[in-house]
Amino acid sequence: MGRFSLLGKSRKVGVVTEKYPFKPTELPEGFRGKPEINVEKCIGCGACVAECPPNALTMEDRDGYRVIRLFYGRCIFCGRCADVCPEEAISLTMEFELTSDTLTDLVQEVKLKMVKCIVCGRYYGTERHQRKIIEAMKSQGIELDPEIMYRCPEHRADTGAKLIGLRRESK
Amino acid sequence: MIKKSIWVFHLNSGSCNACDIEILDILTPFHDAERLGVKLVGSPRHADAILFTGPVTRQNVDKVIEAIRAVPEPKYLLAIGSCACGGGIWHDSFATLGGVQKLYGILKSMGIKPPKTIYVPGCPPRPEAILHAIAYLKGIVTKKVKRTIFEEK
Repeated sequence: MGRFSLLGKSRKVGVVTEKYPFKPTELPEGFRGKPEINVEKCIGCGACVAECPPNALTMEDRDGYRVIRLFYGRCIFCGRCADVCPEEAISLTMEFELTSDTLTDLVQEVKLKMVKCIVCGRYYGTERHQRKIIEAMKSQGIELDPEIMYRCPEHRADTGAKLIGLRRESK
Repeated sequence: MIKKSIWVFHLNSGSCNACDIEILDILTPFHDAERLGVKLVGSPRHADAILFTGPVTRQNVDKVIEAIRAVPEPKYLLAIGSCACGGGIWHDSFATLGGVQKLYGILKSMGIKPPKTIYVPGCPPRPEAILHAIAYLKGIVTKKVKRTIFEEK
């Protein structure tokens, strides 16, 4: 073993260092990167918000809009939101370069229109969600009375009870 | 943006060690952050930037503040991992402050100017993500994320 035996070995192995910031890197299959909400598919049901372990997904009802806010600065990239989404609207992309100098850049907001209860005027759900329910019931062969559909859960119970003949005192 | 070589000090404020292992990774010959001039130093007094991990546990606050104070101006802080950025899974725990923003609140109340911060979310971030942050600090690459707001018409 000579003094320079390592030199021959290093020439045989060659350069192992990746070229990353100057050339793109390869990602493994099934890599869990930045989650993204598909704004065309999202119905604002809030399943992902209930599931998110670090509360990176939050939901707020304000001014007739349901605001779903995804904050990447807290996301742990577990992918549970993608698992529970009934519409498959949220999915994990292959993006991982989330470097930013402000936290406001790390936010995705989806604002969805809500519907008012025709009795009390309270906002209780998103338009897309209601449409989805009507469609789903239709595919089961059940026609929903719009009189019932566009009431908040409280007043819906009242009307439903009246329709099937039960008497229930309305507040 | 720093033109010269960045000397970094690795500051763990109570992280789970995943981000710390990724930091060790970028210093190995495979990822080799020394290509970009990064050198790990043992004292915050020699450092230009802090590689900050962890959600800042309450036990750690005074030591972390002391270390940040010791870094000479202009100082930078790379908040690595979701814990450092926004508190991560510990954001509402009684035992942690929950991210660097809360720590900066304390720094401001003590009259210390908070360092310029680069956020690197990930749990843990890939070594490439940390390299991207260092390259961003050096002005080699540009920012890729942007706040997106969708409003239904």
